[in-house]
Amino acid sequence: MFKAITRLNTLGLRRTLATSAQEQRLKTFQIYRWNPDTPEIQPKMESYQIDLNQCGPMVLDALLKVKNEHDASLTFRRSCREGICGSCAMNIGGTNTLACLCKIDQDASKDLKIYPLPHMFVVKDLVPDLTHFYKQYKSIQPYLQRDTLPTDGRENLQSIEDRAKLDGLYECILCACCSTSCPSYWWNQQEYLGPAVLMQAYRWLIDSRDEATKIRKEMLQNSMSLYRCHTIMNCAKTCPKGLNPGRAIAEIKKQLAFD
Amino acid sequence: MSRLGLGMSKTALKSSAVYRPTLVRGIKTIPQPPGYIVGTVNDAYVPPKPNKTHGSLHWAREKVVTVAMIPFIGYPFLAGTTTFVDASMSGLLLYHCYVGFQSCIIDYIPKRVYGAYHNYAMYLLTFGSGVAAYGIYELEKKEGGVTTIISKLWKA
Repeated sequence: MFKAITRLNTLGLRRTLATSAQEQRLKTFQIYRWNPDTPEIQPKMESYQIDLNQCGPMVLDALLKVKNEHDASLTFRRSCREGICGSCAMNIGGTNTLACLCKIDQDASKDLKIYPLPHMFVVKDLVPDLTHFYKQYKSIQPYLQRDTLPTDGRENLQSIEDRAKLDGLYECILCACCSTSCPSYWWNQQEYLGPAVLMQAYRWLIDSRDEATKIRKEMLQNSMSLYRCHTIMNCAKTCPKGLNPGRAIAEIKKQLAFD
Repeated sequence: MSRLGLGMSKTALKSSAVYRPTLVRGIKTIPQPPGYIVGTVNDAYVPPKPNKTHGSLHWAREKVVTVAMIPFIGYPFLAGTTTFVDASMSGLLLYHCYVGFQSCIIDYIPKRVYGAYHNYAMYLLTFGSGVAAYGIYELEKKEGGVTTIISKLWKA
């Protein structure tokens, strides 16, 4: 048996440690920094050099590495690290996406720029203020509303076909990538609900179990809430979950037109 | 970028205040609440009052007009023009432009920020559209319509 092992060694098949000395591949990350405690200091881009050989594949790994090893004051939201919580939404290399789902471009000669979500008020560094976004979400009443109790006294049943209508809508994690990529939302976010919230409005409009359709439609009947959508479609392009809020908005417009 | 505050040194701020166009300096915008938050953070956003004329009816009319323009634009290419076809085409095109500019005004001169200026812009647009409508009437009466003028230009 020992003989066999020594033979393997001579063939160069001996396993080495993964952490054995490798050459460094330094990539520069430029990260937006602003601290509310020192408002007199203007926001700036700060550069950090990360060795890609010592870092995980995703941008979130790089951010965590910066926070752990370079600058503990770097602030960003993160939670699940697998694209289901929507906390780490930010503008990476010019695209709104989730840091945990965004692979680092392995070309070390190119810098990667990371900003908070565009056109949102910044709380600190990469943390945007989403209060207004959540207030808008609350306004569409994102919960089941019924006048009657379920017939069997237990559950509100739904056919398989009716349930299938909710596919591509319920997966939304409200990361706000789409809303903050929408120029209409940039100009009029106080009144225009934005793609993320409108897609959820549609999700509740077509739910066969919901009985508040009339009120739901009525709140969209003005020039601002829904009709600021000019089908720019940045929302569908940027969605890190591959959903299509633009189509949902078009469906609402169609429903309202035949109302 | 301006919301992010990048590239805005204090000197740049000052100089922009000095060199801002006179027209813009004269306009007083309505200050917005911090973080755009009306009420408390736990209150839901309150949408404007429902108004079908500005909601679904407006949108539907916009689309119907756009689709209706297609045959009126195509017809003269195949069978020459008549005053009815030309006037309909011009009228629909005028409404199409009116709605387009109306949308621009709602987007870029919102009532929420510019107050009365929003109304002035709308009045100006309505007035301009009225003048254009009179122009179409004159063209139909004296020149034989927009299509005729275009075909003349084409040959010239």
